Amino acid sequence: MNEQTAAMGKPVPHKRRDGAASGLAGARLAAVAGRTVLWLFLLIVAALTLFPILMTVTGSLMTNSELMGGGHILPSDLQFQNYAEAWRQSNFARFTWNSVYMSVAATIGTLLVAAAAAYVVDRRSFPGKTLYIGLQASTMFISVGAVVLRPQFDLMVKLHLNSSLWGVILILISAHASTFFILLGFFKAIPRELDESAMLDGSGFIRTFYRIILPLLAPGLGVSGLFAFRHAWNEYILPLVFTLTDPHLQTLTVGLANLRYGSSAAMQLNLMMAGACLSILPMLIVYMLANKSFMQVTAGSVKG
Amino acid sequence: MTRWTRLRENSLLLLPSVILTVALGIYPLIWVLRYMFYDYPGYGAETFVGLDNFRRLLRDAAFWESVRNTFVFAGGKLLITVPLSLLLAVILNGRLRGRHFLRAVFFMPTVISTAVIAVVFYLIFNSYNGMVNQLLMKYHLIGSPFEWLGPKHAMLTVILAAAWGAVGNYMLLFLAGLQSIPHDLYEAASIDGAGPAQRFWRITVPMLGPVMQIIIMLAIIASLKGYESIMVMTEGGPIGKTEVMYLYLYKLLFPVATSGAVVDQQFGYGSAVGFTTAVIVGIITAAYYAMSRKMNKVF
Repeated sequence: MNEQTAAMGKPVPHKRRDGAASGLAGARLAAVAGRTVLWLFLLIVAALTLFPILMTVTGSLMTNSELMGGGHILPSDLQFQNYAEAWRQSNFARFTWNSVYMSVAATIGTLLVAAAAAYVVDRRSFPGKTLYIGLQASTMFISVGAVVLRPQFDLMVKLHLNSSLWGVILILISAHASTFFILLGFFKAIPRELDESAMLDGSGFIRTFYRIILPLLAPGLGVSGLFAFRHAWNEYILPLVFTLTDPHLQTLTVGLANLRYGSSAAMQLNLMMAGACLSILPMLIVYMLANKSFMQVTAGSVKG
Repeated sequence: MTRWTRLRENSLLLLPSVILTVALGIYPLIWVLRYMFYDYPGYGAETFVGLDNFRRLLRDAAFWESVRNTFVFAGGKLLITVPLSLLLAVILNGRLRGRHFLRAVFFMPTVISTAVIAVVFYLIFNSYNGMVNQLLMKYHLIGSPFEWLGPKHAMLTVILAAAWGAVGNYMLLFLAGLQSIPHDLYEAASIDGAGPAQRFWRITVPMLGPVMQIIIMLAIIASLKGYESIMVMTEGGPIGKTEVMYLYLYKLLFPVATSGAVVDQQFGYGSAVGFTTAVIVGIITAAYYAMSRKMNKVF
């Protein structure tokens, strides 16, 4: 990332020749005041951003009566057993496994399908290429809402994929348009001479793809993989509808939101908070480790 | 290399993408285009009814109410999200100490599931034992519990929740756009005596124009389409006050999921509603695009 050095909020350090000493002091005071306002604003926004996340973490460590009762911010005793209870009783072990399984499979599938397609589109011309790109773009912009779930579900019933998460996984992979366009951008950066010379040395088009191109595409696969994983991990409506009759296939998002609809009169808020933490934490850890990549891809995709 | 090898290679690599896109992306759209002329409860007989679904749609007050709610929701979300994310991007594009850390903090909500954060917002904005009210009352900022999810304020609360999850995303997109503006322009302007406000309006806004046009378009589409957080927080209630059009459609198709009682699923009418919502989103997007092109020319 190349840093922009000009700062908007920063006072300009050039000197004014006409200003007297008192004028300079006044300007410095104004600059300090501006800086204070700026930081106050940033800190307030940061606090509002972190507040719900912190409340989830602290709430997950409280007893239910603490949560329901007075205005506690911090738990008096750390109730780590909330996690154990959510994990075992509320089935979060199952939900977590389903989420991991679905997200990993969908991410790998999306990357393979999109990378192979981007390879052909970038390196070769073929009849219907414009049509193909148009189709991909249209799937990103046209949205008729949840009604598409019905024909998709019917199709999965015919393929006998409706009783596993594979139906959901295939639908997630089918929405690979954004990954395709991001990877297409990365392909432009791989010099054609490289694969051309490999092919002159007798390597076939497809062999060149997995021996030469895929390793070179690793950074692109890494960043778009992050986005595909985030999308799958956070998906809600799709697994919700597909697991209506199969509760043991529910993912973390579905299982957690179902607790909110739970008909039992005594909602166990602390267990819900623990469940929310369980579903947020893996993504937060991935984010902290790969923060730079997250920032990078978006820059590329807008410019692209 | 023969034409046939080329064709074989191309198809082998391209077919997975084509098959998946056509079967799961395009075919459902064609399905909708067909069934919007049918009466189809999701099983058994399907009857061709011509334009009946659309006649019913025109008289469907609940649907048009949901369209109105969509505009309020999307408008509110955009009014908070776009200026705030642009402001944060402009500030964090500078040499400010701690900018990397702050960027990471502001982007953090975008890695959290909308549905999960909606559950959390539901819990902390709960009017009688939610943490927000408890804190506000503890510090005497409000006297009695504020009904965050009551009929009067529920829309505000779902807008706040949606904006909370979106600001970081658009901040990052704006940052990407800002970083493509040549740095010398700002230096030259500073030497000529332009202040921060002047540099913002005279350099940043016009130079960012084309990128901003696309980012705002993405923001408009996303805010018209989003309904997951509302579904989890309020289910469209109370008394339909937060029911946006895609949520109205969802409840028409999968009533079991939210209300518990088995009701007839209406896939024919649902197709007509889905088609109409897509057209409404399309018209707004096109209108915005035409307007923003004119604005670009003015700058």
